[in-house]
Amino acid sequence: MKEKQLIIFSFLSLSIIGLVMIYSSSYIWALYKYNNQYKFLFNQLIFFILGLFLLLIVYKMDLNIIKRYSNHLLILAIILLGLVLIPGVGIVRNGSRSWFGIASFGIQPSELAKLALIIYTAKYLSLNYSVMKNIKKGLIPILIVIFLFFGLIMLEPDFGSGFILVASIIGMLFIGNTRLSFFTYSALFGMLGISGLVLVAPYRMARIISFLNPWSDPLGTGFQIIQSLYAIGPGGLFGQGFMNSIQKHFYLPEPQTDFIFAIIAEEFGFVGILVIVSLFFIIFYAAMRIAFKEHDLFKKYLVFGLAFNIIFQAFLNLGVVIGLLPVTGVTLPFISYGGSSLIISILEIGLILNISCDLK
Amino acid sequence: MVIKQINNRIKVVLLIIFVISMILIIKVFYIEVFSYQKLHKLANDLWSRNLPITADRGLIMDRNGKVLAGNITKTTLVLIPNQIKNKEEVTKNLARILDVSYDEMKKHVFKNTSIERVHPDGRRLDFTVADQINSLNYDGVYLLKESVRNYPYNNLLSHVLGFTGIDNQGLSGLELLYDDYLKGVDGSIKYYSDGKGARLTHPEVYNEPVNGMNLYLTIDIDIQASIERELDNVIAKYNPEHALIIVEDPNTGEILGMASRPNFNPNYYQNYKSEVINRNLPIWMTFEPGSTFKIITLAAAIEEGKVNLFEDHYYDTGSIRVANAKIKCWKPGGHGYESFLNVVENSCNPGFVVLGERLGKETLFRYINAFGFGSKTNIDLNGEEDGILFNLDKVGPVELATTAFGQGISVTPIQQINAVSAVINGGNLLKPYVIKMVVDPVSNNILYENKKTLIKDHIISENTSKLVKFALESVVANGTGRNAYLENYRVGGKTGTAQKVENGHYLYGNYILSFMGFMPADKPEVVVYVAIDNPKGVIQYGGTVSAPVAKNVLQDIASILKMDKDISGMPKVYNWYESKYVILPDVTGLSKDEALKKLKGFSISYVGSGSSIINQNPVGNSYVLEGSNVKLMLN
Repeated sequence: MKEKQLIIFSFLSLSIIGLVMIYSSSYIWALYKYNNQYKFLFNQLIFFILGLFLLLIVYKMDLNIIKRYSNHLLILAIILLGLVLIPGVGIVRNGSRSWFGIASFGIQPSELAKLALIIYTAKYLSLNYSVMKNIKKGLIPILIVIFLFFGLIMLEPDFGSGFILVASIIGMLFIGNTRLSFFTYSALFGMLGISGLVLVAPYRMARIISFLNPWSDPLGTGFQIIQSLYAIGPGGLFGQGFMNSIQKHFYLPEPQTDFIFAIIAEEFGFVGILVIVSLFFIIFYAAMRIAFKEHDLFKKYLVFGLAFNIIFQAFLNLGVVIGLLPVTGVTLPFISYGGSSLIISILEIGLILNISCDLK
Repeated sequence: MVIKQINNRIKVVLLIIFVISMILIIKVFYIEVFSYQKLHKLANDLWSRNLPITADRGLIMDRNGKVLAGNITKTTLVLIPNQIKNKEEVTKNLARILDVSYDEMKKHVFKNTSIERVHPDGRRLDFTVADQINSLNYDGVYLLKESVRNYPYNNLLSHVLGFTGIDNQGLSGLELLYDDYLKGVDGSIKYYSDGKGARLTHPEVYNEPVNGMNLYLTIDIDIQASIERELDNVIAKYNPEHALIIVEDPNTGEILGMASRPNFNPNYYQNYKSEVINRNLPIWMTFEPGSTFKIITLAAAIEEGKVNLFEDHYYDTGSIRVANAKIKCWKPGGHGYESFLNVVENSCNPGFVVLGERLGKETLFRYINAFGFGSKTNIDLNGEEDGILFNLDKVGPVELATTAFGQGISVTPIQQINAVSAVINGGNLLKPYVIKMVVDPVSNNILYENKKTLIKDHIISENTSKLVKFALESVVANGTGRNAYLENYRVGGKTGTAQKVENGHYLYGNYILSFMGFMPADKPEVVVYVAIDNPKGVIQYGGTVSAPVAKNVLQDIASILKMDKDISGMPKVYNWYESKYVILPDVTGLSKDEALKKLKGFSISYVGSGSSIINQNPVGNSYVLEGSNVKLMLN
């Protein structure tokens, strides 16, 4: 099966590139902070191996079980999202209370919530496909669930995760037998809302467009983008060479996380970036072919939702790193350091691969 | 139906995602290819610490390539405070080695900056000091090459050369005027460091400094040394207020030497008053030129056909009445009946008043202007003055009379020598200059070359020029300039004794004594102008004070420029108290008897015992002291 092989190849490539680049970009920080240059690499490797086990389980699993228990999963996710907000239970990192600390590892419930909601939406759409054109009966219930999740995540607050979650579900609704006019209206409504907010407080406009010229505030909001551009720009066509990044030497903060793409660009140049973007696109393309051929509605929606989530998150991260979008704090799937993100991404791949087995 | 609609929407999403991937790739391509230069430079500025390496200033050399302003290499101390580990210890040791207080050094070592130059205590360090610092082997303490200007001849040519400041920047003279050529471009060593300032292992980048361009002057260092020595002697002997000498090539306008007193040592310019440094007297000082100005009046009168030097005569009673004023000759009782050649020889003021009257004010002032008086010569030096002429409307008979013998107008020395150069070179006024060329030291390409620049041609005819030269040779052979007579060479010249003016009144017993001399008198190659302001303890006549100085300089120049001896000029008319010079005949090849006959009056000694002369010392056909010893070598 062509699609399955493409996905396995691309996801493994991205994960291995991720492990290698986590080492390259983090060893200086790791040595400085933990006196162990392999600290981040080992942590990520553990999650990667754990992820692969989980992938095998999910791959072999009967998806009907998941479909049956998706409501339970959703409720579990809501409970966890609620729990993490309680001080003492949830841990604050980088300004948001979005982590459960277990030993030295952290688990983000928002990552699980994302997966749970995608599964739930796939089920919801497949069961209600006949009423989806009806806003009251079809759309409103699912929108209420989405905004409940978004609201809980924004209480942490973690705008990046919330945004990805909402965008992934909107993407699923788009293909989910809905009227196009709904999207037109909501886009118009959204724009009116933003315009209203800007009119009330014009400084918001400056905030919104400040990312376009990071040099207007080089030590504040522009700092990360400038440091990112200082990594990407000097990379040139072919890069500075593996391990040769200078920006990872305490210039770009935590280079192994959200901005790891900049370090890849610095060390491997445009050619490296072409490879990364292509691998992500291949995963999405192959998954779309699976969705295209799948006749079971639940699986069709699910495979689309999972792949759309991965590519949307990846492109959002890239958009931020190269200065096309304001900084939102989103990881690059498979590559950025972070256990929850990696495991959820691998689980998503596992589910996609599971569905791909239906194809004959 | 449902499946089909879903699939269509999936296609739309796939297309949108594809478009977004392309946008992302194009944006990355834009950043990494089109913004590469800009971001690479900005990032490099962020990553690197530039340790400056000063460029060598271009050399300033005389016309023969002798270095007048060079460079010596010293060491400068530069700190990168973020890389210094034990700051207290480093501070303590650096303070001890550089002999400054701990607190002073602390300011540098603890400064919150990416790179700190220890100024001024860590500048221009000798190698011994640098070695001590180097042996401590501290991180973040760098010793860099620093090029320091050096003037090997100290005071020589100081006003022309000028000097440079602590950062090697030109502050005066040619150093300032040609700073853009001389300064070069500083280089650097680029060290890469991490975000915390620690040095990275990335190889450092060496930007080689580009040394400045070399300047060749028209100055001849030997001639310059000669005039500097003469000025030192003048200072020692007469203690004048000022003294100056200029040597110019009248055929090109090249300045061969220029010096004045007081002067300064550019290596230690801080020790001098700014007036001393800033006033380059040969181009800055203005004074009434006195009798050397008569050369101009004489040239104008001959050119206009107002006088025949040999036929026309004048009876000098010792004074002449002009309008209501009585103008005295310098010689009480006057010179009596004399030809106008005698008037020139005697520097007789009433005689020149007559020449002035014959010319009339319009004509005389036309010549004065044509010879460049009243406006800058535009020599390539800064600080030149204009001089002051009478306003033609206000010139009455008295002003015309005094102008004719060089009083009542104000000129700069450079104007004076340049005008006389024009008179004796056949009538062409040239622009004087001291820069010969600017040369790139690496490629040896000439970037800029000064050539002879004609300002005004044929002010007087070739013939007039010849007559003036004849008259001035006669001044040196027979007249007031006899102290500048140089045996075996033809010298022309004119003395000057100018009364000084202060607050509109002539000062009593306070003169500027000058001499304008040139050589060879028939075809001049050099002009020398000597002016001494108020010498003490001497009879204040240009002929007694300045002419001998000019003679010494001319004698040096004759040997420096290897001028051919020439005994065809006017013989000197001797006073009873002077030792006479006579022509020694050439007797080589003659028999002993014939030689003896020719050498009557000389004391003779022989070397060898043959009968014919194969060599003689001094050589024949040259002026020697009367009765001096002649060695003859026999075969």
